[in-house]
Amino acid sequence: MAFFRDAKPAAALAAVLAGLPWASNDFTAYQIALFLVYGMAAQGVALCWGRLGFLSLGHALFFGLGAYLSGGVLRAASNEALWYLLLPLAIAAPALLAYLIARVVFARSTRSGPYFSLITLALTMLGFLAAQQWSGLTGGFNGMADIPELPGTSRYETLYWVIAACAVGSTLALSLLVARPIGVVWEAIAQNEDRLQLLGYATDRIKAMAFAGSALLTSLAGALFAAHQGIVTPQAMGFVLSTELVIWAAVGGKASALGPLLGATIVGYASAELREQLPYWEAAVATLFIGVVLFLPDGVAGLMRRGQAPRRASAGQAKPVRRPFAPAASLALAEVQTGQAGVRILDGLSLGLQGPGIRCIIGPNGAGKTSMFNLITGRLPLRGGNIRLNGHDIGGQPAWRVARQGIGRKMQVPSVFPALSVRENLGLALWAGRAHGTDLLCLATLGWQTPLLTDILGQFQALSEHLDNPAGNLAQGHRQALELAMTLLPEPGIVLLDEPCAGLSPAETHHMIQAIQSLVLRIGAAALLIEHDMSAVDALGGEVYVLHQGRLLEQGPLAQIQASPAVRAIYAGGRK
Amino acid sequence: MDSGTVLHALNLAYELATLALTTLGLAIVFGLLGVMNMAHGEFVMMGAYAAVTVQQWGLPLITAVPLAVVVCGGLGYAVERWLIRPLYARPFDTLLATWALAMLLRKLVEAIFGRGYRNVESALTQPTLVLGSPYPVYRLALIVFTLAVMAGLFFWYRQSAAGLRVRAMTANPILAQALGIPTRRLASQAFVIGVVLAGLSGVLLAPLIRIEPGIGVDYLLDAFFVLVVGGLGTLGGLFGGVGIIGGAQAITSSIAGQTSGYAVVLMISIVFLWLKPDGLFSRR
Repeated sequence: MAFFRDAKPAAALAAVLAGLPWASNDFTAYQIALFLVYGMAAQGVALCWGRLGFLSLGHALFFGLGAYLSGGVLRAASNEALWYLLLPLAIAAPALLAYLIARVVFARSTRSGPYFSLITLALTMLGFLAAQQWSGLTGGFNGMADIPELPGTSRYETLYWVIAACAVGSTLALSLLVARPIGVVWEAIAQNEDRLQLLGYATDRIKAMAFAGSALLTSLAGALFAAHQGIVTPQAMGFVLSTELVIWAAVGGKASALGPLLGATIVGYASAELREQLPYWEAAVATLFIGVVLFLPDGVAGLMRRGQAPRRASAGQAKPVRRPFAPAASLALAEVQTGQAGVRILDGLSLGLQGPGIRCIIGPNGAGKTSMFNLITGRLPLRGGNIRLNGHDIGGQPAWRVARQGIGRKMQVPSVFPALSVRENLGLALWAGRAHGTDLLCLATLGWQTPLLTDILGQFQALSEHLDNPAGNLAQGHRQALELAMTLLPEPGIVLLDEPCAGLSPAETHHMIQAIQSLVLRIGAAALLIEHDMSAVDALGGEVYVLHQGRLLEQGPLAQIQASPAVRAIYAGGRK
Repeated sequence: MDSGTVLHALNLAYELATLALTTLGLAIVFGLLGVMNMAHGEFVMMGAYAAVTVQQWGLPLITAVPLAVVVCGGLGYAVERWLIRPLYARPFDTLLATWALAMLLRKLVEAIFGRGYRNVESALTQPTLVLGSPYPVYRLALIVFTLAVMAGLFFWYRQSAAGLRVRAMTANPILAQALGIPTRRLASQAFVIGVVLAGLSGVLLAPLIRIEPGIGVDYLLDAFFVLVVGGLGTLGGLFGGVGIIGGAQAITSSIAGQTSGYAVVLMISIVFLWLKPDGLFSRR
């Protein structure tokens, strides 16, 4: 059973933690519990960093907020028991804050590089200042003291079991999530966020949700910290703790559920014990950290595990999935203009198409062919004119919104998710627009099939042979096939194909053209295809659009285009 | 002008000059190489300890300059070669690696010099009269020196052949390499110059501050915020960033206290990182 396989790390942890108080003593267990708490906070950091690829330097903010809020609630509850009802809210509030922060930051820019890290860092420092200043609420520099114990536990004995249960629970939850489709989506964000948007995933929201989830875990750790220590000082919200969480996650293994717990307990506990005895201990930890960054990107956990077991769908019948978009769409660009950095790329381009069939776009380099696709899919700003899909204005919408309305796009340089398996790449395309509610949390979703998928795998044998290999290992031609499959699997009404035959041998080109013709016909889409090879354009048939200097120069059947004096002039260099 | 205004103006100029001085090194390393050097502040700290060392040996303060150049330059070369170079394409990893380096340097200095505060005496700290107000000579010299260094760097960057090669490398490293520009050596030199500048700023600041192993973090964060607000890779950005960050901090601090000044700096930085991540004067 998949559940038992995924639950292994949590089960191992449970066994070790259950034995610990007997193997040592209550005081050691009390000390270890503190580092389990830190480890859970580090698990939160690792979720964002190891899975989704953005590093938060500000998780101490959520840790500290959780600790202060829960500490305050526990203190109030010692007079009036009704306050206990607010404890869940005290843990959830920092997560809500995290969600809001991530939404406003990611909505502006999909860049999740070091700038996001710096924002979270500055926010933590602001939180630290606030905790110091508002001494009426937080106790200021001396901290919020005399926090009572959690009801029904005693700090030095039974609280250990609560913390151990939470650590096992968080490890289990993380292992289960990562093995499910949502785990695939997270990894895809880390690898190629732009491509995922073109499939229709609102990556900014997914990232914000994950950030909130990781903050929730960290805030829960903060609440346990308050109950465990009985005092919360501004250090619980400080820069130093933030950095330590990152170090523990890195040393233990940021891409593993158990790793951060290991990192925190091993490095953290050893530090607490050895800091006073060995003068160079912290220098040694820093050196260890440098070594991990240079040589062990997956930390200690990466050493123990050789290659992750592939995700497997649970047994059970694959759900027949409905077609998400209405076919036979119409697309109309009217007098559109776009530019970048002062250069005008499209200059009053008007172009329309309606109903199923394949049309080709040709034009010299710099004519604006790819830019037109970029404009339609929200990658370039619309500076004039409008774009209508089935009569609705879609100009200036973000990529994922355009994709959700039924526009699929294949990039010029085939872009897939290199570290995910071919099966997972195809799955991402299949789930786009079809997965609703909790579908992404169900193992069964991994086994979804559509007739189109079967057809595609029949036409491209290489894909079905390599289903469980990483997509990055595919040859160029097979990568083109995979990206075509990913573009078509959501069954969009409009398909934009940017040089699907680039880099293919003549035989492969022939195969690709046949496949495009039959597959586009099958889903009833209207396709626009950029192509330089005239024999390929001829083989595809249909209308041909000629773009030149950001405008439509000519439109018609290929024979008519080839006879056009204007077209001949630009290709033969007669006119600029 | 009454002496109060002159004093305020001089103090502001001094604050901005120290901020510019400690930012210059990072402006080269982060602005030109794109390396978020989290150990930048530690190089400033080591420069200050170079001054402490020569004072312990009974040598004049000026001898701290060659010491800082040798120590920071040698270390910078080694760090670029073995720590940064394998990680150029991995921004998070350079951030973490230099961060670990910062911890290491801090702890090593702590182990050698102890945790306590140190002071460096300078003969130049007595005041002179500026427009009728007494002001320490050393501070005046620092302001002038900072302006001179910035002007020199500006002309070097804009006018010299080496500056042109650096700009080419920054704009397109692969093309620059194809044109025969030794980008590896150039990157190594730029990194060394950046950290040596950081060390020198530490030497210069040493007589003015209380020195302890942890002082680096504040210089690092202020420098980051200046570059974020101003934008990378231009002198205009550096000036703008220094003006906004330093000015806001100095003015708010004088009205509402130091904590508020710092809070304002953090808030300005957050807003810029969020709304204008390329800064005021972006080279993009």
